[in-house]
Amino acid sequence: MADLKTKLSIQAVWSTQRKGNYLLYAVPAVILLTLLSAFPLIQLARMSISEVGIRNITGSWKNVGLSNFKFIIADPNFRQILVNTLVFVGIVTFFGLLLGFFAATAFNDNKKSSDFLLAFMVFIWALPPIVNGSVWKFLLGGDGFINVMFQKAHLISEPIPFLYDPKFALYSVAIVNCWAVIPFNALILKAAFKSVSKDILEASEIDGVTKFQQIRYVYFPSSRPTLLVLAILTLVYGFRSFDFIYVMTYGGPGLATNTLPFLGYIKAFVQFKFSQGAAIALLSAIFTSGLAFLYSRNVMKEEEND
Amino acid sequence: MATQIGSQVEKGKGKTLNSQKTDKWLSRKATRLASILAASLAGLLLPVMPAVHAAETITVWHYFSGNPSQEKVMTDYKSIFEKANPGVTVENVYVPYDQMNSKLLAAASTKTGPDVVVFNGAETSLLADGGILAPMDTYWSAFADTAQFPASVIHKANGKVYSAQGYVNLLGLWYNADILAKIKMPIPTSLASMERAMAAAKKAGYKGITLCGLPQGQGEWQAMPIISSTGFNYGTLDEKSLTAGLAIAKNWVDKGYLSKEATTWDQTVPFQKFLVGDTLFAENGNWQAGAATGAKFKYGVAALPIGTKGKIYLGGEGEGIGAFSKNKDLAWSYLKSTYFSKTGQLVVVPVGSIPSRLDSAKDTMVTSNKLLKPFATEIAKNGANYPPSEIPATKINDAQTAGGVAWSSVIGATAKPANAAQQYIAAIKALKG
Repeated sequence: MADLKTKLSIQAVWSTQRKGNYLLYAVPAVILLTLLSAFPLIQLARMSISEVGIRNITGSWKNVGLSNFKFIIADPNFRQILVNTLVFVGIVTFFGLLLGFFAATAFNDNKKSSDFLLAFMVFIWALPPIVNGSVWKFLLGGDGFINVMFQKAHLISEPIPFLYDPKFALYSVAIVNCWAVIPFNALILKAAFKSVSKDILEASEIDGVTKFQQIRYVYFPSSRPTLLVLAILTLVYGFRSFDFIYVMTYGGPGLATNTLPFLGYIKAFVQFKFSQGAAIALLSAIFTSGLAFLYSRNVMKEEEND
Repeated sequence: MATQIGSQVEKGKGKTLNSQKTDKWLSRKATRLASILAASLAGLLLPVMPAVHAAETITVWHYFSGNPSQEKVMTDYKSIFEKANPGVTVENVYVPYDQMNSKLLAAASTKTGPDVVVFNGAETSLLADGGILAPMDTYWSAFADTAQFPASVIHKANGKVYSAQGYVNLLGLWYNADILAKIKMPIPTSLASMERAMAAAKKAGYKGITLCGLPQGQGEWQAMPIISSTGFNYGTLDEKSLTAGLAIAKNWVDKGYLSKEATTWDQTVPFQKFLVGDTLFAENGNWQAGAATGAKFKYGVAALPIGTKGKIYLGGEGEGIGAFSKNKDLAWSYLKSTYFSKTGQLVVVPVGSIPSRLDSAKDTMVTSNKLLKPFATEIAKNGANYPPSEIPATKINDAQTAGGVAWSSVIGATAKPANAAQQYIAAIKALKG
């Protein structure tokens, strides 16, 4: 009995030591993650409640409480910029997911042509936004390819002001932004479709379902967890989008395509009001996290009810 | 030489063929080994040896791209300085205009950066405040030619000289002489005659004018001559005058003389559009003179017809020394023999820029240049210092953004002139405190 106790206690100590060792192995990763993620976030938060300009960016920062946030919210243009941001994010998230889903179903076969097309789309997704944005600016210009093509086909008499009319500009940039995220969403969803059991697919085929019904009743429910993650990723992508606006419209005409990330850029890197830029970035981060949290909680609740 | 070969033959005497081959192989191997060892040692030692050439390299940051003439000035200056200073290398580094300040600041935060900076002269105070530029007082006071530089091209911050301009840039009215001839209209001398010409051009199937309407500094720069022609200035901030000034641009858009697309153009694009040949006017700068030589039509420049109230900013790039330059003396020597020398300043004339030195400006190369003449007239008649003295120098970027947004809003029809004017004035008042 005593032997057994001794044996067990030795095993326990050994196990604890092993666990301790494992934790030690994680230390470098934890330090790295802290340095790369937590530290910038803390600095951002600290900057947002301080007064930081070009003169003292590398010096000491005076605490000013919430005055930067108050200043940003009191800006007469803030409301319009917030609405622009919500419209922009809404378009990118909704159409990005919808069209990504359609693309994934369209390419969901074993044909080489589908693989090639998807690979080509991923290549487009991987291109730097500055390049993509410049190409789209050229295509959507007054005498750009799309307008010229429409005019030659006698579909329009005057060019469509895609990027320079307030009625079109925000939607045009949002759709281009959405276009850039479709390949990524399609790729992830196609991978999710691959995990659908062949038995279920065969059973549905024996039941005589149409292709649309198969998508509606088999693929869609099976890929819901993936869709949830993708929705959050696309939402965050839409919320932090800056590059396409910078290249295609620079926030104009006027403030028609100015969104929170772009305003943050102007404040921080054009006017060098780093603390106000940080306040905008922090507001955006809180807002995105809040939306993502609400969305995931609702979906999880639905899944629990199912 | 023959004796040496003879002695080698002697040395080989008495040995077998195989042993001779082995000796040769060993000798070759030893030579190779020695070479590798020497190269490795050299490689190891190089970093610790004093970098004689590295110290003789100066980096010049600039933002010229898309205009071959401006790019040529940079390479010409490099050649001039390298020729005069054998062993010295000038490294021109292109940094996009929008990223120049943030990249300079990022470099300064790690105590690095260029030796020479060619930047928007109006932002001297901002860069000096950020510790990006080094004061040039010592060099400037010892410079024999300071009297040649008008006060408007010497930029100071906190009483110290931080940069000076080697040339002056300003806006003028470029016209397509072929279209003017076809529509039988004279070169405009007033806003009314300019609008009559645009109406006639529109009727004949041409476009009226190209300009920059971006909601940032470049837009504000182009807006100022138009909005000041009705009496607006940063001193009085008269809302009625500003509304009237902005209404001019709105009228041009409404009548189809100016495309709303201008809200997506920086200053380079509208001139490229003008060079296509189907637009009557371009409000653009003297620095486009080089680009204009590629035009396939007859063209010319006139002073902007903005009356006596109108103001045209006298801009241009400021040249300064980086705060963390390791070779400030060499950087100053570069500036002194290029941007700030009489002959060096004449290099910018083909670009269309006007030398800032009094003696260079009087050179026949400048005075006989027909394209530069209208600009010289403008300097005397409508020239205004930039940045405007009414705006605190460190807040000039805020003022530029506010002006650019108002200008872009009116051209893009996102705001009525009265509303845009109201917001613009409110923003400027807040800046002035």
